[in-house]
Amino acid sequence: MVEWHGYKGKILRVNLTKKEVKVEELKKDWCKLYIGQSGFGAKILWEEMQPKTDPLSPDNMLISSTGPFTGTLIPGSGSISYQFKSPATEAWAETRSGGSFGPKLKFAGFDLIVVTGKAEKPVYLWVHDGTCEIKNAEQLWGKTVHETTDRILREIGQPEASVACIGPAGEKLVKFAAIMNDYDRAAGRTGGGAVFASKNLKAIAASGEEGIEAADPDKFYEAVMEASETMRKYFFQELIGGLGTIGLVNALNAAGTLPTKNFATCFFPAADTVSGETLAEKYLIKRRACFGCTIGCGRYAWVPFGRFMTPPHEGPEYETTDMIGIQSLLEKENLEAIIRANYLCNNYGLDTISTGNVIAFATEAFEKGVITEKDTDGLKLEWNNPNLLLTLIGKIAKREGVGNLLAEGVKRAAEKIGKGADKFAVHVKGLEVPAHDPRGESRSFAIQYAVEPRGACHMHPNWAGAYDFVPLDNGLKPHGLPWPPPDKFAETGVKRGVAYKLLALHGELAEMLGICRFYLWGGEDFGLTCLTPKRLATLYSTLTGFKMDEFELMKAAERVWNLKRCFNVREGLTRKDDKLPKRLLEPIMTGPTKGQAVKDPDGILDEYYEASGWDKNTGIPTRRKLEELGLKDVADKLKL
Amino acid sequence: MKSLIVVPNRCTGCHRCEMSCSFVHFKTMNPSKSAIHVIRVDHAPIDAPIFCVQCGLCIDVCPAKAISRNNKTQAVVVDYEKCTGCGNCVNVCPYGAVTVDPVTKKAIKCDLCGGNPECVKICPESVLQYLESNAASHYKRMTYANLQRMELKPLIPYPRKG
Repeated sequence: MVEWHGYKGKILRVNLTKKEVKVEELKKDWCKLYIGQSGFGAKILWEEMQPKTDPLSPDNMLISSTGPFTGTLIPGSGSISYQFKSPATEAWAETRSGGSFGPKLKFAGFDLIVVTGKAEKPVYLWVHDGTCEIKNAEQLWGKTVHETTDRILREIGQPEASVACIGPAGEKLVKFAAIMNDYDRAAGRTGGGAVFASKNLKAIAASGEEGIEAADPDKFYEAVMEASETMRKYFFQELIGGLGTIGLVNALNAAGTLPTKNFATCFFPAADTVSGETLAEKYLIKRRACFGCTIGCGRYAWVPFGRFMTPPHEGPEYETTDMIGIQSLLEKENLEAIIRANYLCNNYGLDTISTGNVIAFATEAFEKGVITEKDTDGLKLEWNNPNLLLTLIGKIAKREGVGNLLAEGVKRAAEKIGKGADKFAVHVKGLEVPAHDPRGESRSFAIQYAVEPRGACHMHPNWAGAYDFVPLDNGLKPHGLPWPPPDKFAETGVKRGVAYKLLALHGELAEMLGICRFYLWGGEDFGLTCLTPKRLATLYSTLTGFKMDEFELMKAAERVWNLKRCFNVREGLTRKDDKLPKRLLEPIMTGPTKGQAVKDPDGILDEYYEASGWDKNTGIPTRRKLEELGLKDVADKLKL
Repeated sequence: MKSLIVVPNRCTGCHRCEMSCSFVHFKTMNPSKSAIHVIRVDHAPIDAPIFCVQCGLCIDVCPAKAISRNNKTQAVVVDYEKCTGCGNCVNVCPYGAVTVDPVTKKAIKCDLCGGNPECVKICPESVLQYLESNAASHYKRMTYANLQRMELKPLIPYPRKG
C-alpha cells in the first residue's frame, strides 16, 4: 500500500554546519492547507526562520521544493523552486526553474530539501534513492556552470542525474546570481546563487528510480489526457512554442510595449533584427522542452562563426533579449551578441534580467554624467556597444572594478552613486524590473510590481497582461472575474483590484502545485485551452487523493499569498515599500504608446488592497482576513 | 499491419512518452520503468526517443521461453509468468530497448500496448507515430539516413569544455 500519492512524503533536512542529514515525514495536514512547493516553503520559512536574519549568514534557510504535480504526467510539471530570504531585497524570495531537476529530486524520493548552516569547505549534495551524501567540492570552486555540471556528472557516474549549481558569480556573492540547473536552465531572480555560496554549497545533484503514484489512476489518466489534448490547441503555441518566448519581441514592439533604453521608451525600431523569427532563421538548432512540457519554449541555439562565436546552448529567451540587447540599444550584430551574452551569463551564473537592467542603468548614469570614466576603470559606457556589454558582464561576475558596484544591484548601486541616480534606477524593493511595462502593456503590472512579495517580477505570481492585454479570462469567470476586461490603460474604477487578485491567486496556485505558469493562459472565446482552476482541481484530487474543488484550491492560494506577505511584514516591509520606480511614472517617449504613464499608482493600489482585505494605510493583511484564511497564529505573532 | 516509428529530429525531449508508458503498464510515473527512453544530451543537439523495433532477437536467447511474437500486432511480448529476470534479452538487444526492473526482476519491454500505443497518443509534437507499414518504412529509412548525415562542424568543438 502506497501511503503518499503525488507527493513523495519526505523532507530532506541538511545541516551543513553539523554535516548532518535527516529525513523527515511530510505533515499530511499541510497538503490541503499549503498544497506544496512555495506553499511549504512559505510555511517552513515563517515558522523556522528568525525575523531580520542576515540573508548571507548561515542562519538563512535554503529550501529547494517541488509540488505534487512535479514529475508527473501533468503538462508543464518540470518545476523546481527555491525559497529563502533574498540578499537582493532582504525580504521573501522564491525563484523557479524548469528543466528536469525538480522531477529528478522527486524520483530520488524527496519533496523538499531544507539546507541550513554553512559548510566549512565547499561541498555539494548528491541526493539519490532516498539518501543524501555531502561531498567535497573544493576542486569545483571557481568553475563555470557548464564545467561544474560536467564534472559532477562524471564524478557521480550517473548519466541520468540532474545538477543544480552556481557559477563564479554566485561565489562572488553577486546580489543577482542565479541557481542554474541542467546546464542552461536558470532560477535566476532574487540572488539564490549568493545564498548557495554563503553556505559554501556549490551544487545539488539528484537522481533516483522511485516513481510517483496516483490515488485514482484511471480518473487521473483520463484527466491528464484531457489536459494534454487541450494543450494541443494552446492559445500561445505558435508564439511561445513555435518561436520561443523571444517571439514576443515583434509582437510586443508592435503593441508599443517593448522596454527600451533603460525603460525610457517602449519602442525599438530595429526590433526585427533580434526577433524570434530572425533567431529561427539564423541561429536556432532545435526546439527544446522541459520535463513533461507540451509547449517547448526552449531554444537550442548557437553562433557558429564570427567574433561572437558561441557553442550550442539553450537560449536566449525574451527577457534576456530585451534586458540585455534592447535595453542597451544594440543595433548591429545584435542577436549574435545577445546569444553570446546569454551564454556568458549562464556560465557565470548570472540573472540575465538584473544584469541587463543594471548595465542599462550604468550606461544611462554615464550618459547623464553621474558617473565618469574614473568610476568605470576608464571604460566609456555607451549605448549600442556589444563588446562593452560582454566586458561588463565579465566584470560583474568577477566583481572587478565597476563590476563590484554593479554586482550590488541597481538599488544599492544608485544609493552608492547618489547624485539623483535613483531617478532612473528601475527596481521595486531592490529587485530589478523585467521587460514588461505597466505603461504600455497593462496597468495590472503596476499592481503586480508593487505588491509582489519578492519585488518587481513579470512572472510571479502570474503574467498580469493575460487579463486585459490579450484579453483572456483563464477560466476565472466562476470566481468572479470582471468581464469583459477594461481598457488596458484604465486605472481606477474598473475593478482592476478584484481582477488582479484572482489572476495572482491562479498564478500562486501554479507555484504551489509545481507547474509552469505558461499553462495558465487561455480564454473562453478560444476554447479555454489552459489549465483552469477547475482542471487543476480535478488533477489535484485524482492525483493526490485529497479532495479539493477549485474554490478550495483558490483559498489555499490566497492563504499562501497572504503568508508570504506576512513574512515581509515581519521583516518590516509595509505599504511604503510597494512603490513603483520613478521611471515607470514618466511618460513613454516614442512609439505607438507614446505619452502613456502610470498616473495614479496609489489609486490602483488602494483598490487592490481593498479587494484582498489588506489595510489601505499600512498594506498589512487585516486580522479578519488572516483569521478567515485560518492564519490566526500568524496574526497573533504579528500582534495585529 | 502497423509499426511504431519516430519522426527524426523533431523530439523536444519532454519525456511524456516515458511517463505515460510506465503509468499505463505499472500505474506509476517513473521513467526508469518505461519501455521507451528519451535520450537527451544537454550539450549536443540530441533528443531522441529510443524504443524496441520488435526485431525479435531476444526471443531466441530467452532460456525461459518467456518472449514470443504476438500474431495480431507483431509485437514481441514478455510473459511475466515465465520471465525469470535473467537479463539475456537485455544483453542481446542492440538498441538498449529492454531493461530488467530491479525490484520485480521482470523484463520491461515495449508491447505496443496491444496495438494502441499510449506514447503515440500523448506525444505533444506527434514525433511518435503508429503508421501503416509502408508509410512507417519511410520514417525508418529517414532514421537510418540520419546515421550517414554529414555533421555540420562548428568552429568550436562540442561537447564543450567548461
